Amino acid sequence: MVNEQKTVRRPKLSVVVIAFNNELYIEEALQSLQEQTYTDFEVVVVNDFSSDRTGELIDRFVEGKANFTAIHLPENSGGCSTPRNTGIANSTGEYVMFLDGDDWYTVSACEKMVEAIERTGSDFVAGQVIRTNNYEIWYHKQLYSIERINLNIREFMGMLFDSLSVNKIYKRSFLDAHHLRFPEGIHYEDIVFTGKAYFLAESFSIIPEPVYYWRVVENSDVKSITNRRFEFENFQNRIIAHRYFDQFLKESGASLYQKEKNNKFLRHDLKLYTNDYLLFDEDYKEKFHVLIHDYLHETMDEYAFLNLAEKDRILYYLLYIGDRDAFDDWIAYTNGLETKTYRIHNVGSQYYFSASIAGNHKFLKMQRPEIAYRISDVQLDEKQFSFHASVNVYSIDPGTVTSFWMLRNRQTGVTLVSEQSGDGTYTFHVKNMTEGNYYLSLYVNHMGNLHKVLAKGSEIADLPNIEVKTDSLSKSIYINEKNSFSIRVQPVKSVDQVKWKLKQRRKTQEAKKTQNTESAFQKWAKRWIPKLPVRSNWVLFESHMGKQYSDSPKYIYEQLLETGRNYKYIWSFQEPGAVELPGPAIKVKRNSLKHLYYLNRAKFWVDNQGMAHLAEKKDQQVYIQTWHGTPLKRMGYDQKKQPSIQELTRLKKQTDAWDYLVSPNSYTSRVLKRGFRYGGEILETGYPRNDILISQPPEIKEKARMSLGISEEKHVVLFAPTFRDWDPDSFQRVLDDVQYLSKELHGDQVLVLRLHYLLSDKISQFELPPNIVDASNYQDIQELYLLADLLITDYSSVMFDYALLKRPILLYCYDLDEYITRRGMYFDFAENAPGPVCETMDELLEYFRHPEKLAAFEGALDRFVKEFGSLEDGKASAKVIDSVFGKK
Amino acid sequence: MERKNIVFLINEFNNHGGAQRVASILTEEFMRDGHNVSILSVNQQKKAPSYFSKEVPVTLIHKDDYRPPAAIELSSNLKQGKLIKVSKEVNRRYRLQKQRADVKKFFEAFGDEEVFVIAIQVYGMQWMQPVLYQKNIKVIGQSHESVAAARSSQRYKRILSHYRQVSKFLLLTQKDEEHFKEAGFKNTGVMYNPSPFRHLTPPEILYNHKKIVSSGRLVAGKGFDVLIESFASVAEKIPGWTLHIYGEGPAEDSLQSLIRIFDLEERVFLEGQTEDIEASLREASFFVLSSKAEGLPMSLIEAQSCGLPCVSTDCAPGIREILTEYEDSLIAPVGDIHLLGRHIKRLAEDPELFYSYSRNAYENSLKFDKKVIKQQWYKLFEELGGRRDGQ
Repeated sequence: MVNEQKTVRRPKLSVVVIAFNNELYIEEALQSLQEQTYTDFEVVVVNDFSSDRTGELIDRFVEGKANFTAIHLPENSGGCSTPRNTGIANSTGEYVMFLDGDDWYTVSACEKMVEAIERTGSDFVAGQVIRTNNYEIWYHKQLYSIERINLNIREFMGMLFDSLSVNKIYKRSFLDAHHLRFPEGIHYEDIVFTGKAYFLAESFSIIPEPVYYWRVVENSDVKSITNRRFEFENFQNRIIAHRYFDQFLKESGASLYQKEKNNKFLRHDLKLYTNDYLLFDEDYKEKFHVLIHDYLHETMDEYAFLNLAEKDRILYYLLYIGDRDAFDDWIAYTNGLETKTYRIHNVGSQYYFSASIAGNHKFLKMQRPEIAYRISDVQLDEKQFSFHASVNVYSIDPGTVTSFWMLRNRQTGVTLVSEQSGDGTYTFHVKNMTEGNYYLSLYVNHMGNLHKVLAKGSEIADLPNIEVKTDSLSKSIYINEKNSFSIRVQPVKSVDQVKWKLKQRRKTQEAKKTQNTESAFQKWAKRWIPKLPVRSNWVLFESHMGKQYSDSPKYIYEQLLETGRNYKYIWSFQEPGAVELPGPAIKVKRNSLKHLYYLNRAKFWVDNQGMAHLAEKKDQQVYIQTWHGTPLKRMGYDQKKQPSIQELTRLKKQTDAWDYLVSPNSYTSRVLKRGFRYGGEILETGYPRNDILISQPPEIKEKARMSLGISEEKHVVLFAPTFRDWDPDSFQRVLDDVQYLSKELHGDQVLVLRLHYLLSDKISQFELPPNIVDASNYQDIQELYLLADLLITDYSSVMFDYALLKRPILLYCYDLDEYITRRGMYFDFAENAPGPVCETMDELLEYFRHPEKLAAFEGALDRFVKEFGSLEDGKASAKVIDSVFGKK
Repeated sequence: MERKNIVFLINEFNNHGGAQRVASILTEEFMRDGHNVSILSVNQQKKAPSYFSKEVPVTLIHKDDYRPPAAIELSSNLKQGKLIKVSKEVNRRYRLQKQRADVKKFFEAFGDEEVFVIAIQVYGMQWMQPVLYQKNIKVIGQSHESVAAARSSQRYKRILSHYRQVSKFLLLTQKDEEHFKEAGFKNTGVMYNPSPFRHLTPPEILYNHKKIVSSGRLVAGKGFDVLIESFASVAEKIPGWTLHIYGEGPAEDSLQSLIRIFDLEERVFLEGQTEDIEASLREASFFVLSSKAEGLPMSLIEAQSCGLPCVSTDCAPGIREILTEYEDSLIAPVGDIHLLGRHIKRLAEDPELFYSYSRNAYENSLKFDKKVIKQQWYKLFEELGGRRDGQ
């Protein structure tokens, strides 16, 4: 069987070529050797009992070529190991390389490899591989971009990802010293051979030179049904090879590196099979689960998955715990198919995939649920834009999901919200659209988590090209280069188009200007204004950073007006034009030069939040900090989350500037003193803002009623939830709650909704049911208290003020635990609350439907007022003024 | 079949690329069937003959030979005081607007009649924007190159912004179509280029010509230098065989000197532009394509239609849609002089292999027959005509 040794002198290099049924390619492989730029080598071609013309072609080729030898095995070995080992045994070169019969070498492969191994003295050297499906260099960026000389595998574990044996040149002495040969009788011999070589070698090197062409024949038949039976053995063989390698690691004392080997197994080997899982038949799947479960438990624990991408982490974890049902569902889910049961659940805003059997859910964390949608019947005319849409949130009970669509003009920021009719048709009123591109987004609300998805042109069936023109504007369906769907509104005349573009441009330029450039005059003014003298009869007011005319500064101002003092009053507002202000006060725009002027010249500052950062306060200036409510959550230094140094520096700058702190009760005095580390004078007078809750002037109540358009006989419920800045979905939650409540209201009831001022713009864009009145933009909430017969709130200081009226309070705290965890509280809220603390909507509705049950909380309300409101006698404003401005 | 209005949108109708070739073959076929065919051409070459017959009316978008510069940003250049650049850009934008109106007017002449616009090249699509919203006009956009080739230029970006809302976006190969489907295109399809002729010559006769041919513009991208070197590497082993390259272009001198360097003046010939490629192919043995990038190269289709075995670089997905490796052809990586040379030698040395490849080549070229392709176009027109947008 073995041809007689032809070469007498030992060649430098032996190339072992193996071939099995490669009749199309074998000549090319051999020619690539014959034409090498290097000559001091022998070739041993081992034909593994091919059934086609391969053997014949080999014989024809080697004939008459002194350095080529052919060996024909008497029976098929079923793998690559026996032929390669036969080649090693029947060759004598100092170095050894391998070539498969369907691949080929680059013309200078042998020359470069021999040069590299002689130069570096490494046990073996690896060169670049080019795969012919894309002609890219295999693992180029990760491994093969630069030359790496004399590495040990323990310092470059990433190299384990290259488990090929054919792109390398080996010292024969290295192979012999470790008896390193290909394992016969198994497939995936390279995993074992190359893996061992890495750990046995003192050193190896990498050259960034292409040496090996790996022929990848793209064949759609590969995954055909007939191959499936065979494929399980294929998987089994791979596991056998890995077990072989694992065994080696253990025996050679390299168990330390099992972790890196596992990493490669998960990211490369196992992935090949899980990617094809849907193509497997039931028999395959069953065996697959058993085998992989065993193998994973042999070699690793679940923490091996922790740093993998979400998709793989969950996949492998489910394999690991042997949860076949959940695994099948996860595969379905990641392939956009329906799951057998609803698998996705959330805890707050964190999503999880649910296993069927008990597991550690930290391995099943998900970023967000997958949302699919289809749009059809797109119609656009002058008045309406409508379409039909179906939304599918995979593996989540559709009953827990609601959705709506929004159009947003990217140029102006204006948004439009869809109206939905029962049959899944969504309509927008587009008559008043202005220039710009209105992009369409889907909002899905699941248990208070709001998910936004930008609508893509490809999800729209039979997308029509529609353009509607009026006299001046054209509206057209437009898909941008990123495939996003929009309605493009453009001026019809090109002159107007240019004007609109210039206008947009000016806007952005202006925005830039206010950010970072100021005129020479402004610079000059900012330098000189602080040097102006302080005017002793000027008083500067501000409430909530200039957002409102409200709170204690308002009542101090009005009291000052009433007592007819000779002061000049200045109020700062963010939008002075939007606020109606009684009396002679001057309105200035917050942060303007004029504001700076008054900040520097007014002797008195009256404020409820903080303005010390706006100007350096002088010694002769007096700052009255009224603060804006009895604290429930922890403040300043007391905060649950340790405040940063910058935060504390900012706080110190504020509190250092305060000369007086107004406090409504001894509890607040104690808490703020400690929380703010404030050592200045405290005016424990009660809140000036609460004076009207004691005097309860009927004309104020009437004013509020008129302004909100609520008739006299209506029973008013005030709903004032706090702003949960940590939860972007809380706004949606409020919207939902309001919808619920709306349905529960009697005909003679109306609900007044009061949101944080940061949300007031947002809520005004939503159309609310007729029995809901949005009062978020109402300047002074104290006036709303007078109107309200019942209050629903949560953790807001609203309750401390409202309680003074001795009217019932419902506390709707669906996230009480979370709030306490995040914010912390100064006292046991559930114990001391002025009314029932409801953690669910149902609980709340119970009291809502049966108001008589509230009687049981009258005692609690009394205690609450006694504790926090005993100082309130309706004269707080006067007391503050007397203390600060002196008695008149 | 009713008479259809068909408009070809082309960069330069009288240039000599594959796109013009395809358009002219289709024009001829459509006119023969009595359809109303016209050409909308962005520009024209000075005093150059075209593939199209004189009967086809041509409308130019730039009548004054204007060549717009590449688009630039206005404000930053204005700030830097680059007034000439800015004025050129303003002019470009102004003209684009104005000519869009001209193009609109051009289509208004058709009244309410259905018009099929075939944008053979990507560049012209920017003038079609206002026409897209007209219901009687069906715009079919083509891209006559592979994704990889388009990516090396502005054309890929132009496709992303101008091709999403056209009635049909035709690619040359399944693989290219696959790519754009993944990029969210819903209007894609595949349309092969038609071969202008199909002729069977017995393989034995072809082989005895001992002539290797190639054709294309003599520019770097066609890789003729690689071809000449490959031939040089095996020339001594295949005596009697000659290489003939048809086409002209800027690389002519350097290629000629390369031939001299290898002392191959008696073996390799730059033949210049040929009026009758079919005749040249029928007198040859096999065809070699050595390009670095292609779409669905006409030259391979034409060679195959004459029963020529082919050797080609693996330079685009289109290659493997035309050729079946080891059945009618041999394929090598781009730029691999040695393997290309070995393939040439193999075909030249092995007549049996040559005969079988030749017979298969002719067989496999049926799918490019112009009659077959023409029917596919008619099917497409039916499909698009049946769809009334927005109704």
